[in-house]
Amino acid sequence: MSRRIGGILIRAVMTLLMVATLNFVLFRVIPGDPASLLLGGARISVTAEQIEAQRQTWGLDKPLFPDQVIDYLSATLRGDFGFSFKFRGKHVADLILERLPATIALVGLAQVIAVLCGVMLGVYAGWRRGGAVDHVTTGISLALYSTPSFWLGMLLVVVFSTALRWLPGYGASSPGVIVGSFAWLLDYLWHLALPVLAVALGLIGQYVVVARAAMSDVVTEDYMVTARAKGLTNRQMLMGHAFRNAMLPIVTLVSLNLGYVVAGAITVEAVFAWPGIGGLTVEALNARDYPLLQGIFLLLGVSIVIANLMADLIYGVLDPRVKQ
Amino acid sequence: MDKWQLGRRAALKAMLIGSATPWIISSKALASSCGDHIVRLAAIAAPDTMNPFATWSSFWPTVFTYDTLVGPEAQRHADRKGYAKEWSVSDDNLTWTFKIWPGMKWSDGHPATAKDAAFTYNFLRDSIGKPDELNVGYNNTDGMDVIESIKVVDDETLQIVTKLPSLWPVNNFNLIVPEHIWRDVSYAEARSTFRNDAPLVGTGPMIISEFQQGQFARLTPNSHFRTGKPKTAGMVFRFFDTADPIAQGLKSGDLDYGVSLTAAQWTDLSKDPAFVVGESLTPQWNYLAFNTVSGKGEGSTKALQDPAFRDAIGYAIDQKAIVDRAMRGHADPGVGLVVPMAANYYSDLSDIRRHFDLAEAGRRLDAAGYRDTNGDGIREDKEGNSFQLELITGTTSGTLEIPIAVVQLVAGWLGQIGIPVSVTQLDSGALSARTAAPANGGGGWDLLVRANWLSGSPHDLLSLGSGKLVGTTNKSQWTNDKFDKILSEIDVTIDVNKIRELLDQASRIIYMEAPYIMLCYPFVLEARRKDCFVGWGEKGIMSMEGYFPFDRLRPI
Repeated sequence: MSRRIGGILIRAVMTLLMVATLNFVLFRVIPGDPASLLLGGARISVTAEQIEAQRQTWGLDKPLFPDQVIDYLSATLRGDFGFSFKFRGKHVADLILERLPATIALVGLAQVIAVLCGVMLGVYAGWRRGGAVDHVTTGISLALYSTPSFWLGMLLVVVFSTALRWLPGYGASSPGVIVGSFAWLLDYLWHLALPVLAVALGLIGQYVVVARAAMSDVVTEDYMVTARAKGLTNRQMLMGHAFRNAMLPIVTLVSLNLGYVVAGAITVEAVFAWPGIGGLTVEALNARDYPLLQGIFLLLGVSIVIANLMADLIYGVLDPRVKQ
Repeated sequence: MDKWQLGRRAALKAMLIGSATPWIISSKALASSCGDHIVRLAAIAAPDTMNPFATWSSFWPTVFTYDTLVGPEAQRHADRKGYAKEWSVSDDNLTWTFKIWPGMKWSDGHPATAKDAAFTYNFLRDSIGKPDELNVGYNNTDGMDVIESIKVVDDETLQIVTKLPSLWPVNNFNLIVPEHIWRDVSYAEARSTFRNDAPLVGTGPMIISEFQQGQFARLTPNSHFRTGKPKTAGMVFRFFDTADPIAQGLKSGDLDYGVSLTAAQWTDLSKDPAFVVGESLTPQWNYLAFNTVSGKGEGSTKALQDPAFRDAIGYAIDQKAIVDRAMRGHADPGVGLVVPMAANYYSDLSDIRRHFDLAEAGRRLDAAGYRDTNGDGIREDKEGNSFQLELITGTTSGTLEIPIAVVQLVAGWLGQIGIPVSVTQLDSGALSARTAAPANGGGGWDLLVRANWLSGSPHDLLSLGSGKLVGTTNKSQWTNDKFDKILSEIDVTIDVNKIRELLDQASRIIYMEAPYIMLCYPFVLEARRKDCFVGWGEKGIMSMEGYFPFDRLRPI
């Protein structure tokens, strides 16, 4: 058991090292000069000297190898992600931490809602497969699953914000509200409602489809017939045998999705002007902000590795065969 | 018992919902703009720091808080002054005297005097040649080499002496900052890491009191504003990446004013009696550029280096169709380098202007030696090789998008005269990399459709053809000694008539050689609600170079 966990941990560390190295290489092979892009808003003619000045300011005039590579790797190992170009010298870690709560609130909450609703509906539909509930649930879920979340978001804005004026259609809070106050919390949740709905609806569809399929496979197994022959009630069969065996694919999906929580939902964030990590990633990419991109993708790598680690450990609990 | 428990739960829920209702109802998210007299506006913008020495991206909203000494607005409009109330120049055109508004104060109550203006300029000027020269942001040293001296005569009088006649003292865009706030900021900090966090201290009508990057800036009226405290209760300036939320915000009543709208949104809002729509002229060019480089970085055919080839293609571009079909009427047809916004200098070059005529384009190509000799419908260059041109395009920022219809029209017309075009759409980073100078790894493209937004100053109007700006602003990399000489002369000329004459000469040179074909000069599209505020002015609701009209709005 401990050998298995040790192996998983070593693989995780190796993956993170690879992610850190690839982060450096990948963003620098994308064409585009951050120094020129930083002057993108210039309303006067930009000279070559001004571009060179930007390059010096942000250390881009140093040779890529070894100077920039060594600076990057040594700083990353120290936990220092450096300064953002785009955000004019702000620490990358500070920038990420500023945006992370909004992303976790949006995608995290949507995940929780989707897991609870989606798994319950999917399991029920699979258990009662072929029935009216199954047909309706599966149909709606497939429609939601195949609908782009940004389009769903735009529809929600048009209906609930523009037409009905029930909910705000953009932003995370109203200007002037004191951050941390009760009024701010309500205001924040009020702004969060539509974006969460846009993300959650798509995820619910995904979970329903997977949970239903897993449950449909399980209920036709021989051991379920045996359980019924032994006289177990529906509840005992569902909770004691079917649900636990159907959990493996669901756990895989949930853990994979949890790994992407910190990545944000780029398109939904764009529709609702939600100040999360997704929008930050787009801004960093447009500006070729290497330190910020490296920081974001390292965080994403870490979260996915941790999510996979958790999935591996949970497999062992759910299915004793995995431990062996 | 169960029934009673359900009842208790229901009562608890009702209490919770009931307690939340007043908060929800009074939530500022749903507040009417009219109720609190706060002006809510939005634009596609991405300000990154409130430090004007470190960024180009924060014109909005810093322009509401800081003044330029004079600037273009004050020169065009008697009622739109900057930090200086009056200004004059000596007979030799070298000594400029500025009278600062008497008794003016910064928003924190400190006197705002000529010393602050001198501090701002000297802060920049003294950095010249140092490792941390302040040349990376909106406030920058560009053009300051012409300055001989900056002198504070008294609290209300600033004198700037230039080495040569120059309009820099009145045309520069540097924002005047308070010495008592900035005097301890080093060059290194001002150039990069000093963020000048809100609340700011300025002399403009609205002071930035809160800045949430990527979301909004909240501005409060400056009670010390020189012409009196603005009548509104403040402003909230929302920043977006796209125009969709702006249009939705206007419709839902959450915004009073929106700029950067698309043509479709503008048309939609124009049909709604609750809105007034407007369009503002801008110093923006949408152009087709030819890669005129010879040697490293040159295009796929040497025809691109031939003025006769480029001139002939000019006859295959229908600027009116571009305006009508691609821009839906929201642009002026492209002609020369001088944009219609620079009304003092604009000329439509009517005597040399090309007219759209595909047959004429074909005849000129034939005459220049670019014929279709093998009858396959594709012309060959002078070496006898068929060619297909690569047209690259893309957006350079959120507000400088090229409608794809423009590219489709251009590619279609060229195809009709036997020049097939393949289109490559690039993101801003890749576009800047490919259009960089060959020495910096750029080049290899043939045609470029791109937008550029500069100022309307005479120097910037000619910058697309400047030999000094090859690979940066001058994307075609065309150079002409006579053109550059005129540009140098303009830099040391202050007489408007003489500048107009020089601009006309330079415009004709570059028009005839055709390294660029101007496609159109787009308008900025805007809309405002009618129900909350008055004082918006007439055509062109919002100034693109100042804070007008947000200093004079009044609640209804």
